[in-house]
Amino acid sequence: MHKRILSLAFAYLSFQAGQIAMQAQEFKLLDRMVQVHGFVSQGFAYTDDNNWLTMNTSQGSGAFTDFGLNMSSPVTDKLRIGAQGYDRNLGQLGQYHPSLDWAVADYRFKSWLGVRGGKVKTTIGLYNDTQDEDFLHTFALLPQSVYPTDLRDATIAHVGADIYGNISLKRGLGVLSYTAYTGHRSDSIYSGYPYYLSSFGAHIKSFGGLQYGSDLRWNSPLNGLLIGASRLNENITGKGSAINPFNPGGGLVPYSETSKADWTNQFYGEYTVGRLRIDAEYSRYWRNQELFGGTSESFADVHGWYVSGAYRICKRFQIGSYYSRYTITNIVAGALSAFYPPATDTNLPANHDFDKVITGRIDLNKFWNVKVEGHFMNGYGSGPYPNGFYTQVNPGGFAPNTNALVLKTSLNF
Amino acid sequence: MKNHRVLALVAVVVIFAPVGLIAADVKVIANGSVKADMISAIEVKSVFLEEYNSLRDGTHIEPVLERDGPVHEAFLHEYLGGTDDDLQNYYRALVFSGRGSIPKQLGSDAEVVAYVARTKGAIGYVSAETAVEDVKTMTIIRSGNDSQRRLISRVEPEYPDTLKRLNIGGTVRLQLTIAPSGNVEAVEVLGGNPILGESAAAAVKQWVYTASHSRTIAELSILFGSHR
Repeated sequence: MHKRILSLAFAYLSFQAGQIAMQAQEFKLLDRMVQVHGFVSQGFAYTDDNNWLTMNTSQGSGAFTDFGLNMSSPVTDKLRIGAQGYDRNLGQLGQYHPSLDWAVADYRFKSWLGVRGGKVKTTIGLYNDTQDEDFLHTFALLPQSVYPTDLRDATIAHVGADIYGNISLKRGLGVLSYTAYTGHRSDSIYSGYPYYLSSFGAHIKSFGGLQYGSDLRWNSPLNGLLIGASRLNENITGKGSAINPFNPGGGLVPYSETSKADWTNQFYGEYTVGRLRIDAEYSRYWRNQELFGGTSESFADVHGWYVSGAYRICKRFQIGSYYSRYTITNIVAGALSAFYPPATDTNLPANHDFDKVITGRIDLNKFWNVKVEGHFMNGYGSGPYPNGFYTQVNPGGFAPNTNALVLKTSLNF
Repeated sequence: MKNHRVLALVAVVVIFAPVGLIAADVKVIANGSVKADMISAIEVKSVFLEEYNSLRDGTHIEPVLERDGPVHEAFLHEYLGGTDDDLQNYYRALVFSGRGSIPKQLGSDAEVVAYVARTKGAIGYVSAETAVEDVKTMTIIRSGNDSQRRLISRVEPEYPDTLKRLNIGGTVRLQLTIAPSGNVEAVEVLGGNPILGESAAAAVKQWVYTASHSRTIAELSILFGSHR
């Protein structure tokens, strides 16, 4: 209840700040300029079969809202501080519990060396750090094989520090940008993975741990061509309680899962020429967890890739399309293996999700856009790690194919 | 001695070839606190994309843009590529991920000139025809192809006897500033043995290139002996 009140207060303050900021996006405080920016988006999704992204989409759902507000200011030539609050409601996720999205002190010694500390958005691939900002993207939903919106908490930010910089290469060979980071990830209990675990009777009280990784991207001398690679390592622990799988009537027992190995490799490229932008990314997520204090072990191997194209037909109208491919395999060893047979056949719809997407985006003005998007999905990838389809909202089981219509509008200032 | 000179100059490699002033309709201006007088087109792009917050000489810089209009469009076309929508999206991505801020955006050449004049480290752009006071106009350099400034007279560097006898050689890197007339105005030794650098600079200062409408910056590597 308190969270709801907090959330409503945050929304109200965001709206009021937005009213002011629409007129003047910056003001002076202690002789320093302060910039204020914000956004809000509202979506609607309808599916012809399976319920998707924890919404009741087969009936049509508008439980698809998020908003954020940030302030930032240069304290000195080299030091900048800022913070952003964020809140969302996506079906059963988020539930309007506001969060500190990022809060950063950023000191830039040189163009090639800077440090930022606090709660920092994590740099992975082309769009991890901007995945919430709908207005930055042609698509209403980024390819879910690489940017699953239900699992955003897993990668969105870390409490820790980054070092970063831009290095201009000699002989006109472009610019290299690097980021290296380490910190602590902490998932909301209202995020996708805890929700997924609740389908097995597990109630997560805490989920998080160490993250460290790096990103290297090359702005090539060929105008518009960007190529990069990211690596993320994690050591995650989840704790809570669960129904005893060996004695379901025997009450709750402590639940724990701990990383033995947990890493992501991501490779990406973007090419913009004139009004056309082409993106491609490949991601592999390897996850080896000890369950129930080491009595069982899970090995999940997730592959995702997509190719997308977006074309700006005129100043206010864009079209886009992508093909997104997600596969997962999983093996459970130890005591729980009796309940979970190996899932290694990615041809089965339970172990994949292939999504063909077309989108139209209209910019009504600089601050307001509307998107219409069609998804044509084969598979539901509901295996041992979630990817948009959850048994709790599909109690009758899954159909192999899902077509979805997504409408979304967003405002920003 | 002539033999020495012949032996000495094994290779002259043009790395960055001559360049010219670009963007006839837009000029880049900077606050007087900016030490440099010249800036490459690539640096201009990096400055306005907030990849750089300082120049090579350590001067802090702050980009200033025009909000819209033909000068802004010409600047985008010449230096950044893409449309204004692309640029605004780029800045928003920085802002909303906590990685930067939206630069100052002003409504006219006069406002840009006034802001740049009073703001330490400010760098902006205005129409080439706009009269500017209290700010400096930056010379823009960018790499081009070799044929733009052809070398028409070359004096070979001297390989000092002592160094040659001791088998001390290697590569010397130089940066040349070539005047519109074709004469080499200035030579800076960027790397290599200082004695060999001095010898190479003395020779290169006597080189003559074809004339051009603007000043040119080029980098050369000169190899003495068979060392690398």
